[in-house]
Amino acid sequence: MKFKKLLAVFLACVIMLSLTACGSSDKKYSVYVITKSTNSNFWEDVERGVRAAATEYNVNIVFEGPSSEEDYLAQNKMINEAVENGADAIVFSAIDYYQSDKTIEAAAAAGVKIVMIDSDISSKEKSTFIGTDNFAAGETAAKSVIDKFGTEQIVKIGIINYDEGSNNGQQREAGFRSYLKNFGNIQIYDTVRAVSNTTSAMASTIILLNNYPQVNVVVGFNEWMSLGIGKAIEQRNLQDSIYAIGFDNNVVSVGMLESGEMDVLIVQNSFAMGYLGVESACNVLNGKKISENIITATTAITKENMFSRDNQKILFPFQ
Amino acid sequence: MIKDKVKNKSIHLSTLTIIAISITVAAAVAVSVFSFITVYNRSLVRDASTSSEQAVGQATGAVNNYLQELKVKIDQICGEISDSKNIDEVNERIAVASRLQTDIEAIMVYDKDGNLLAFSSNGNKLKNDTQLNLSFDKSNTENIKGYNMSLPHVENLFYEYYPWVVTITHPEYEELFGETVYITVDFSFSNIAKYIDNVGIGQHGYCYIADESGNIVYHPQQQMIFSGIKQEDISDVVKLADGVHRNNNIIYSLNTLDNNSWRIVGISHIDELTSEKTETILRVVLITMLCCSAIAIAVVLVFSKIVTKPVRGIVAEMQKFEHRVDDFKYSPVFDRVAEVQVISESFEHMSGMIKDLMDEVRAEEITLRKTELKALQAQINPHFLYNTLDSIQWMCEQGKNEDAVKMVGALAKLFRISISRGHELISIKDELKHAESYLIIQSYRYKNQFKYTFNVDKSVEDCFVNKITVQPLIENAIYHGLDRMVDEGEIDINVSVDLNNDILIDVRDNGVGMTSSQCVKILKKERSDSSGIGIKNVNDRLKIYFGENYGISIKSELDVGTTVTVRIPQLREEPENEV
Repeated sequence: MKFKKLLAVFLACVIMLSLTACGSSDKKYSVYVITKSTNSNFWEDVERGVRAAATEYNVNIVFEGPSSEEDYLAQNKMINEAVENGADAIVFSAIDYYQSDKTIEAAAAAGVKIVMIDSDISSKEKSTFIGTDNFAAGETAAKSVIDKFGTEQIVKIGIINYDEGSNNGQQREAGFRSYLKNFGNIQIYDTVRAVSNTTSAMASTIILLNNYPQVNVVVGFNEWMSLGIGKAIEQRNLQDSIYAIGFDNNVVSVGMLESGEMDVLIVQNSFAMGYLGVESACNVLNGKKISENIITATTAITKENMFSRDNQKILFPFQ
Repeated sequence: MIKDKVKNKSIHLSTLTIIAISITVAAAVAVSVFSFITVYNRSLVRDASTSSEQAVGQATGAVNNYLQELKVKIDQICGEISDSKNIDEVNERIAVASRLQTDIEAIMVYDKDGNLLAFSSNGNKLKNDTQLNLSFDKSNTENIKGYNMSLPHVENLFYEYYPWVVTITHPEYEELFGETVYITVDFSFSNIAKYIDNVGIGQHGYCYIADESGNIVYHPQQQMIFSGIKQEDISDVVKLADGVHRNNNIIYSLNTLDNNSWRIVGISHIDELTSEKTETILRVVLITMLCCSAIAIAVVLVFSKIVTKPVRGIVAEMQKFEHRVDDFKYSPVFDRVAEVQVISESFEHMSGMIKDLMDEVRAEEITLRKTELKALQAQINPHFLYNTLDSIQWMCEQGKNEDAVKMVGALAKLFRISISRGHELISIKDELKHAESYLIIQSYRYKNQFKYTFNVDKSVEDCFVNKITVQPLIENAIYHGLDRMVDEGEIDINVSVDLNNDILIDVRDNGVGMTSSQCVKILKKERSDSSGIGIKNVNDRLKIYFGENYGISIKSELDVGTTVTVRIPQLREEPENEV
């Protein structure tokens, strides 16, 4: 009797095994990439990385983002829709550090793997964060000020920064301020807020320049801020008197770098963020361990080094 | 209990079969899988090398052709410039040429000092001052000969337009300008990229272009390499000669392009190729193996049902047979398996034969014993005869003729009944007569030292009993019970029927009696004087004729007396086969 029972168990195991063996025939994962916006060069480059990884790991990709970089509600809606549409993983870049926590937690509770890129959220319900060390990027920007002016000459700085809810901008500014705190010749006058688009950033720059005509360094902490600053400087013809520091590599801002409106661009490895985002999502889905935090590199680009062989590759995406 | 122990130690036939089949299947599968994988891997590596070589060869051909085409395009542009009559016409003609050729990003004509003489911009706005012209290095014009090809770079001649291009510079003397001019054409690099991107080697293999000093010219994953996500070990690879090389698990395939220093490198990974396929094969094999074992077990189950079960049945019957041969009856089972059927039938036959043989042997033994006992019966204790004859002689001499006649009569009866025409069984009546004759003779000899009485149930007088059953008991009573007595002895012979309908013949004396150990001994011991018939002999005969339930029992008490009881069944007819 015992023997027969064992036998029955064994046969059942065999059947189960064969079934699972048949069932495990490669299911294509579907990964949703929800970005802060889709119309900037930065996010286009992220998308290139996403597509490259998608081809390599053979996953389906939905790449989407709100039209305005302030619209976290639209992002939350996209997350909910992604969950409804059976996303296996969401690669997410949060517009607001706090406002998407609940939505992401709900998605994670539904079994969706969360990978954060570029802009983190406060929630812990995520597998990893991949992005620039924003504090260090701010420090890099600050360092370029010291490299340019040294520690003697008086430097008067104005800052244009975007949405206070965004963790990235705040971290970069904090890093920037923290680095310069130790230098006696540095005076930071004000931070003027702007919405993430060129027009608003340009208006804010002009306000800054009107309020503080003595300012000789202007810093902006994302692509839109950089473009706004460049436009304002171009309009005021202040190419030579103002040292402008911006973030990210837009074709226009690269042109400004060449023509002198912009002096330093802190370029992030956006392609790597997209690529590593999808790669990490796949690794998590396949049950592999990944590190909690993946830092992507940043490079400070100036007019002088912009066409070096290596920087060409960083600055100009291969299309 | 014993059976259980045996069960624990020995293995069942069906289990043994399952184990044997499983091991055989597993071993066969393992050996075949191992050899298959070995052979398969070897051929896989060979195939991978071949396909790598072919893919790289094709890519090389395609890129060579494309570069050749570019030269042709430059020659055409040179022709257009030669045909022009003034600068405006030059600009117009090269503008048309660059519009028609989609892969031309820009055509620029420089003099040897780097001054721009003519250009086509494809509608882009030319920068006024390009600090560092990536397409044309004016400091190095003397070294430009034939068709000079640059590494891929970003074109930075126009406002807000930075395409990746390869620049081909060709110096040519033009009448219009009256000097050697440098015709510089920026070709979109994406065309060459396309040739390389489309090359696939195996599942994950790819191609890239490097220059001879180890710089990447184009890599399909160059963004990842530039971003630091992937590494490509180029500097060592470009040192390799053209052809296929294998380093650990990587197959490199190299080809140099025709008329410049670029090299196309194909990369494929053997372990990726093999391990993935091996895994698939192993999975398939494993499933097959499990299925095979499952089928094997099913087969064994059926097999055991067909073969083992009847065999086990036969084994059980054999064990039964071993323990109790006498009342064993085996009827052969009908079975479809011929061998089982044969075994079953043989066993039936054999068990029958054994039984018959045993019966025969036993019968022979009994006959032998009977004969032996009969031989003993035939003996007449000579002392008894001499003593009796002496007594008769003495009687005659004394003139006691009447007593002598009586004595002779008793002796004659004694002998006649002893012989009984060779019959073993005689009626109780005759047996008692025999006993009485003996008592008569002995009572003369012992001078009325004892009395005797017969008390017989007349209903069983005609039942049969072994002859000379009672006489030895009386003899025993006289010699051992009464002989040593001072008082007059008494011998009572009682024949009765008990509750079981058995006949009981009691011979009771009031003699000295025996201890219980003596009682036992007397039933076991042959007579010491080896003449006449002992109690053991009587008992043996009774048991042989009537079975173990019958025979003699002795009850005795010291100084009170002894009762010897013969128990026999009521047998009213003499058995026919009685010898």
